[in-house]
Amino acid sequence: MSKIKFHPSEELLVNYVSGQLNAALAVVVGTHLDMCPRCRSVVHDIEVHLATRELHQTSPMAEPELAAMLESILASEAPMVAPKSAPEENIILESKSFKVPPSLGRHASRMGPWSKMPGGLWRAPLELNADERMHLIYMQENASVPEHTHRGSEATLVLDGVFSDEHDEYRDGDFIFLDATQQHTPHTTDESCLTLAFLDAPLHFTSGVARLLNPFSSLFFR
Amino acid sequence: MQVMPEKRNTRQYMSTVRREPQEMTPEHLGQLLAEVAKSRSRIAFGELFRHFAPRLQSFATRQFGNEQTAMDLVQETMTNVWHKAHLFSPEKGSPTTWIFTIARNIRFDILRKNKHRQNDVSAEDLWPVLSEEMSDSDEEFALDKNILLQEIGEYYLQLPDAQREVVEQIYIEGKSQQEVSDTLGIPLGTVKSRTRLALQKLRELISEQN
Ligand SMILES: [Zn+2]
Repeated sequence: MSKIKFHPSEELLVNYVSGQLNAALAVVVGTHLDMCPRCRSVVHDIEVHLATRELHQTSPMAEPELAAMLESILASEAPMVAPKSAPEENIILESKSFKVPPSLGRHASRMGPWSKMPGGLWRAPLELNADERMHLIYMQENASVPEHTHRGSEATLVLDGVFSDEHDEYRDGDFIFLDATQQHTPHTTDESCLTLAFLDAPLHFTSGVARLLNPFSSLFFR
Repeated sequence: MQVMPEKRNTRQYMSTVRREPQEMTPEHLGQLLAEVAKSRSRIAFGELFRHFAPRLQSFATRQFGNEQTAMDLVQETMTNVWHKAHLFSPEKGSPTTWIFTIARNIRFDILRKNKHRQNDVSAEDLWPVLSEEMSDSDEEFALDKNILLQEIGEYYLQLPDAQREVVEQIYIEGKSQQEVSDTLGIPLGTVKSRTRLALQKLRELISEQN
């Protein structure tokens, strides 16, 4: 596998480990972790650090309370766990099949249908619940996303292929995080690209005809 | 019966000595977890409990600002430690880290339960800590997980007793293969082969019906 150049910030990984991220963003970060041994090792260090820090102090607990809780745990039945099906390994778009990491594959059943958008783009929603969702975005060869800014932040993970913007080129495993002040124009050339994208507010298109899309951007991208 | 209480007392005495923080090394905590996993040792678990419960209580009180919810987190976390100690592996990290990740997941689920969302994700979907798929690298078992409970339906009732027992415990009670082996007092290999045979039979039964 090619070398990953772009990684989530340490702050994002700390929020991931402590369970503070929007769940959809956590899936995007988790999928990057499946692809990135470097960040897996950073996450492990963060876990050790947080565990030591968070489980350092003790709260006094009354002896009868402690003893009663211990008794009830020892007498408890094993928690019921419905067996989980193995994560889906592939995502299908028309005749193409993409192998995806388990952190994404575990949610494949929540994926909505693909819809074709202007400019050689395909998009499928993946909804964890009414408030937390992400999208799979497929850019065919020579496709482009109109220039836009975000009212919130945008996280994009390259699952397969390559895309570029005015700053750089992004390949399998690259994780790009943009805040509301940054704008960019993603496009592909002779290779197509499948990404997983998280937005915490609708896109705002800034140029040309695409501005006409603004009233609908919530339909397109959320 | 004469010997046991004496042994117990010695252990309890030792555990009060060991309760000093500097004595609770990751190695010692790991040994306790291994004893719980292997022989369901209530004494080893008691020692783990007395070490971790007040720490989890402190963590959870800071998180929730509510003592009752904090106690729920302590109880739920330590219940998982009692029943799932076999999922801990020292190669992956220290006992404190493992227990912290369990508590983190339970905190996440408690916070989301209050939102009453339908079909919401659970922490285990995001950070699998207690899922067997993480600890069991056995290829065949991984394959077997493709069979869903609803697919099994009533078919499992038609299995021979020995196979049905194993399938019930794994797919209905949610036990690991190791737990089934401990409960039934049969070797792990036998559990695996019975599961395999049962699933083979189930696949036949299901395809016959369709
Ligand atoms: Zn990385």
